[in-house]
Amino acid sequence: MEQCDMIHQYLKELERYLARLEKAQAQEVLKEIESHIFDVLEQQQGSGQVVDAKAILQGFGEPRQLAFAYIAHITDGAPPPAGFKAIQKVKQGVTATLYYTMAAFGFSIAFALLFVAGAKIFMPDSVGAWSAGNGNSLAIGFFASPYPADQELLGAWFIPVAIFSALLVITLTRKVLRVLKNNM
Amino acid sequence: MTIEEKEEKTQEKWEVQLRKGTLELVILAALQHRTLYGLELLKLLQSFKSAAITEGTLYPLLDRLKREGIVDAQWVQEGDVRPRKYYSLTTTGHHKLADLITLWRQSVFDIEFLLAHPGPDVLPVQGE
Repeated sequence: MEQCDMIHQYLKELERYLARLEKAQAQEVLKEIESHIFDVLEQQQGSGQVVDAKAILQGFGEPRQLAFAYIAHITDGAPPPAGFKAIQKVKQGVTATLYYTMAAFGFSIAFALLFVAGAKIFMPDSVGAWSAGNGNSLAIGFFASPYPADQELLGAWFIPVAIFSALLVITLTRKVLRVLKNNM
Repeated sequence: MTIEEKEEKTQEKWEVQLRKGTLELVILAALQHRTLYGLELLKLLQSFKSAAITEGTLYPLLDRLKREGIVDAQWVQEGDVRPRKYYSLTTTGHHKLADLITLWRQSVFDIEFLLAHPGPDVLPVQGE
């Protein structure tokens, strides 16, 4: 049924824009609007009127705008309950610290990996990955005197593996940072 | 744009502003000692010329009033029909309504007073 499709598409889109609400809250909003729409449709059908989903949806406005009205209090932090502001501030402080720590941590690991990969090109004998302690630990890096007795694991493959790992770490760090930024 | 059209537009703007400003009072008044679900409330409001609002205005507003503890909402399932969310005033809501009523009546009283005393007797009229 075309009318139903239109409604479902509308609700789906609305759900997407309500993503900033807690899940249960968003579901509650959707449930209420869905209930309203189908109520009106049934009433129209019952009284022999032309069923017009489009007109009903028009009353709700664009999904984006409707969702915005529901999440506006989150985006501008309007009416917080008493005592809430302080918590928000603390949370914000923690998030900021976490953000910069995460950035420093992730990017320095990535930088170190890239550096080691570069060093391998020039000093192939003292840079690499070694298995130490009978495979109980793994040593990656730059050693003036490489681990005796144990074999180097990757050889020249160390370079692409290190570069790939660095890129992976950068991507992951950026993803985490983006999530943290949204919560700041 | 002709002068008439301009005037009509200004009037329309004023109407929108007035409706916006009184909307909360209207909703609280509609829910006074009454429990209504969204569609019922919407139809009730739309039956008044000065309170006709859309679904897209009503529902987010109800959501805000609920968050502020002014209204309470409860899902009710009656027989086979799908569940509906019923709204009613909380104690805070009743207090808020009382406050708004006082403000509203004062406003009406003042405006009516001005209208009832056009001058030149009691009140000075500007431009004369």
